[in-house]
Amino acid sequence: MTNTVATPAAEAPKGQSTLLLLLLKLRTFIALIAVVVFFSLMAPNFVTVANAVIVSKHVAINAFLAIGMTFVILTGGIDLSVGAIVGLVGMVAGALVLYGIPLEMFGVVIYPNVWEVIGIALLVGTFVGLINGLLITRMQVAPFIATLGMLYVARGTALLMSGGSTFPNLIGKPEFGNQGFPTLGSGTILGIPLSIWLLLVVACIAAYVATKTPFGRQIYAVGGNERAATLSGVSVNRVKLAVYMISGFCAAIAGLVVASQLVASHPASGETFEMNAIAAAVLGGTSLSGGRGTIGGTIVGAFVIGVLSDGLVMMGVSEFWQMVIKGVVIVGAVILDQMQRRIARNARLG
Amino acid sequence: MSLRNTLRTVSLGLLAGIALTASALAADGKLIVIITPSHDNPFFKQEAVGAQAKAKELGYEAAIYSHDDDANKQNDLIDSAIAQKAAAIILDNAGADATVAAVQKAKDAGVPSFLIDREINATGIAVAQIVSNNYQGATLVAESFVEAMGEKGNFVELVGKESDTNAGVRSKGFHDVIDQYPDMKMVAQQSANWSQTEAFSKMESILQANPDIQGVISGNDTMAMGAMAALEAAGRKDVLVAGFDGSNDVRDAIIAGKIHATGLQPAFRQAQYAVELADKYLKEGSTGQPEKISMDCVLITKENAAKLDNFALKD
Repeated sequence: MTNTVATPAAEAPKGQSTLLLLLLKLRTFIALIAVVVFFSLMAPNFVTVANAVIVSKHVAINAFLAIGMTFVILTGGIDLSVGAIVGLVGMVAGALVLYGIPLEMFGVVIYPNVWEVIGIALLVGTFVGLINGLLITRMQVAPFIATLGMLYVARGTALLMSGGSTFPNLIGKPEFGNQGFPTLGSGTILGIPLSIWLLLVVACIAAYVATKTPFGRQIYAVGGNERAATLSGVSVNRVKLAVYMISGFCAAIAGLVVASQLVASHPASGETFEMNAIAAAVLGGTSLSGGRGTIGGTIVGAFVIGVLSDGLVMMGVSEFWQMVIKGVVIVGAVILDQMQRRIARNARLG
Repeated sequence: MSLRNTLRTVSLGLLAGIALTASALAADGKLIVIITPSHDNPFFKQEAVGAQAKAKELGYEAAIYSHDDDANKQNDLIDSAIAQKAAAIILDNAGADATVAAVQKAKDAGVPSFLIDREINATGIAVAQIVSNNYQGATLVAESFVEAMGEKGNFVELVGKESDTNAGVRSKGFHDVIDQYPDMKMVAQQSANWSQTEAFSKMESILQANPDIQGVISGNDTMAMGAMAALEAAGRKDVLVAGFDGSNDVRDAIIAGKIHATGLQPAFRQAQYAVELADKYLKEGSTGQPEKISMDCVLITKENAAKLDNFALKD
C-alpha cells in the first residue's frame, strides 16, 4: 500500500531532483506566471489590483467546482453533473427568494431568510451528490454514466422549475424579511469580494482534509489501488459516497455565487462548467486515473484557465481563438505531466 | 386449442384495427408540429406558445419540440414529424445551411414547412420564411443609442453567437448607423454567445481594460441583462445599455431606468402569422403571399415599455 498511495510530498525522489524535474514539477505555477507576464505586456490595465480582484472573482466559481471535482477524481471517479447542479441550485435559491415555500394545506407561504435559502440550496446540491454516490456505490453504475444521467436530470429539473424562464430581481422584500441575497455575489470585506474569501476558506479546509486527515489518506488510497484499500480496511463505498457529496456541495456554492452575482437565476447557467472544472484539476496535475493530485495544484490550474480567458477578452481576441488556445494549453499540460512522471520514475529507479 | 387460436386472431385483428385508426387519425392532417430553439430563452418560448394557441384556435392539434440549436436533433425531429404525418411544420431553425436538407426532406414527404425568425439559405423549399427585419431593428436601436450618447463617446459591443446569422445581421445594423458618427468609438467587441453569465464576466473584464466607456450595445436582451449586472456591480450607473429582442426582463429594466432601449421582435405575432398562413395553404393550396415575408421591429424605450408584454405590444 505504501507504494501505491502517492501522497503529494512523496513524489520527489530525494537528492536526485534535477533542475528539469523541478521545473516540470512547478510547471502549472510557471505556466501561471507566464500567462500573467504575457498579459501584463499585451493587455491594457491587466496588472492592477482591481483587475486581480475581478480575475479572482471569475476564477472562484470554477475553483469551487474544481475542488469538489479533485476529490472525486482522486478516487478514480468523475462528476459530470456539477454544471447542472450550478443551474439547479440557482433555480432553487431563486424560487425560494421569489416565491418562498407554499404550504397549501395551511394556506400559507413561508419565506425563508437568506441564511435559510443558502442552507436549503447547499442541502439540495449535497443531496444530488448523495444520489450520484448511491448510484455508483449501491447500483454499481460507472461514475461517468451515473453523473452523466444526473447532468440531464438536474438540468431538466432546473428548466422545469420555471418552464425555462429566468427568475429575475432576487432582491427579496422587506415585508418577507428575505432581503440580502445579492450580497453573496457583490458584497466585500476589506475591498475583496465575499466569493474570494469563501474560496480561501473552502480551499484551506479542502487542502487540510486531503492532506492531514485519515479521510484524506483514504481518498488517495481508494484512487491509488481500490483493492489494496479495501484489504487494509478502508470502507471504499463510504469514501466514494462522501466525495460525490462534497462535489455536490461545492457545486452548490458555485451555483449560489453565480445566481447572486447576476441577481437572477437562469436554468441554463453552468452549462459546460463541468469541463472547465475537470480542465482545472488536470492542469493542476490531478491524474484522471485517481490517486494523484493536490488541491493547491487544482487552484493554480483554475487560475491559469481564468487568467487566460480574462486576458484574452481584455486583449480583444475572438471567442473562437480563445477556445483553441484553452484546448492547446490543457493538452500541453498533460503532456508535460507525463514527461515529469517518466523522468521521476527513471530518477527513482536509477 | 382452437378457441385460443380464434382469440388470438381476433385480438390481432383488433390491434391491427386500432393501429389503422391511429394512423388514419394522424393522417387526418390535423397535427401541426412546432419546432424552436430551447425554451430557456423566453423569446423562443413565446414563439411556441403563440403558434400553439393559434393552431388550437384554428382546430389543429399542436406538438411542441425544441432542437436546442443542434442541427442533428432538428433533423431527427423533422423525421418524426414526417413519420407522424404532420399537416405542417412551423420551424425556427438551427442553422441557415444545416437546415436546408431537412426542410427539403419534409417537402419531399409532402409536409410543408413554415419558417419563422431565422431564414435558410435556399428558396423554393419552405412555403414561407417569415423573418423579423433584424437589420431594420438593429438600426432603430443604434439610432436611439447614438442619440442618447450625444453622438459621441466610447462604447462596447457584445455580439451574439457568431455561428448564428442574426448575430452578424444585427451587428451590421448597429455599425451601419454608429460608424457614420466619427466621435463614436468602439473600444471592445466580444461575443458572449447570447449568454447572461458570459456577458457578465466578459463585461467585468472589458471594464478593467477600458474603464473609459459610456455605452454598451448588445446583440440580444439576455446579454444586455448580464452587462447591466456587471455595470451595477462596478457602480457604473453612467453607462448606457441597449439590447435587442424585447423581453419582459429588459422591459422592467427600461422602466427602472437601468437599460436605455431594446428592439422588439414581434415573436408572438410572427409565430401566429405562420400558423395562419399554414392553415390557408392547407385549405387553398397557396398562402397568397411571397415566400419571404419580413416583419418590422419596434423600438422600445421608456415611452412605450409599459405596453410591452411577452413579445407583443398592447395598443
